Amino acid sequence: MAAAYVTHQQKVLRLYKKSLRHLESWCIFRDKYRFYACMLRARFDDSKEEKDLMKASMMLKAGEEEFWTNQHPQPYIFPESPGGTSYERYECYKVPEWALDHWHPSEKAQYPDYFSKREQWKQLRMQSWDQEVAQLQAETPAGGPQNEALPPARLEGALPPLWWQYVTRPRERPT
Amino acid sequence: MAARVLQQCVRTLARPSLRLSAANLAAPSAAPSAAPHRPVSFAADSRRTRWLGLSPVPSVGVLCRQYSDLPPLTLETIKDRVLYVLKLYDKINPENLQTTSHFMKDLGLDSLDQVEIIMAMEDEFGFEIPDGEAEKLMTPEEIVQYIADKKDVYE
Repeated sequence: MAAAYVTHQQKVLRLYKKSLRHLESWCIFRDKYRFYACMLRARFDDSKEEKDLMKASMMLKAGEEEFWTNQHPQPYIFPESPGGTSYERYECYKVPEWALDHWHPSEKAQYPDYFSKREQWKQLRMQSWDQEVAQLQAETPAGGPQNEALPPARLEGALPPLWWQYVTRPRERPT
Repeated sequence: MAARVLQQCVRTLARPSLRLSAANLAAPSAAPSAAPHRPVSFAADSRRTRWLGLSPVPSVGVLCRQYSDLPPLTLETIKDRVLYVLKLYDKINPENLQTTSHFMKDLGLDSLDQVEIIMAMEDEFGFEIPDGEAEKLMTPEEIVQYIADKKDVYE
């Protein structure tokens, strides 16, 4: 997330997106949905030019209330998104990468190339860890971090902080 | 009957150079029994066509079975699909559409248009893009990278 609060524009865009999704759940035929989506877009476009933030906020509030009364009871939720059928379905199969260290040597001998490369990656991680911690300590504001975003690598040739967790994250569909 | 079908399958998969002879074997072996004639020859035909269809693209891991899953994504296919969907959008001029063309600066689109584009991408690839990350995707290149990141597609 960029900041700790949502700007007015972001709120309007979120309202637009979810109202289009619920409209899609109501109008199942594509041409009918397209027609009503264009009508909705025209309504948003008419009120787009409003410069007074008070009136714009009141219009947004009215829009949210209208969305609440017109929402679909069972909107289409994508399978991978929260509330969907396949959400977190494969979480139990996502093994963290430190489990590879606990393999038996005979099992590790079946993949010698990979494990030798893995040793090099772990050395790299050991070396860059101090710099990552130093960067995080320097850049976190006093009182704790505001959001979950991690800062990118500042110096040339350095690695971004906590890159190991990102690089060695399990796949989306673990086999 | 099923054993004969499996025999044909194993023979066609193990020796692709002899698939024509396997098809020839399928016809006389199935002639005595009229009932499995059509399934056996159909199986041999489907094996043949599947083998022919697989041979141009062996490098992506298509040789493994998919079991009614979608074909695996590659960066090329993701880019082609993203550009195809963008060309279908009527507010975009398809001539000056590049992977690096910015929606707001180069193509002159609105933030509402960008939301619609992201929704079209969600419909195309079948998974939701959260709002916080969707509002940052401003070029087709970024969309391709985001989808490749989410779907674990790499070279």
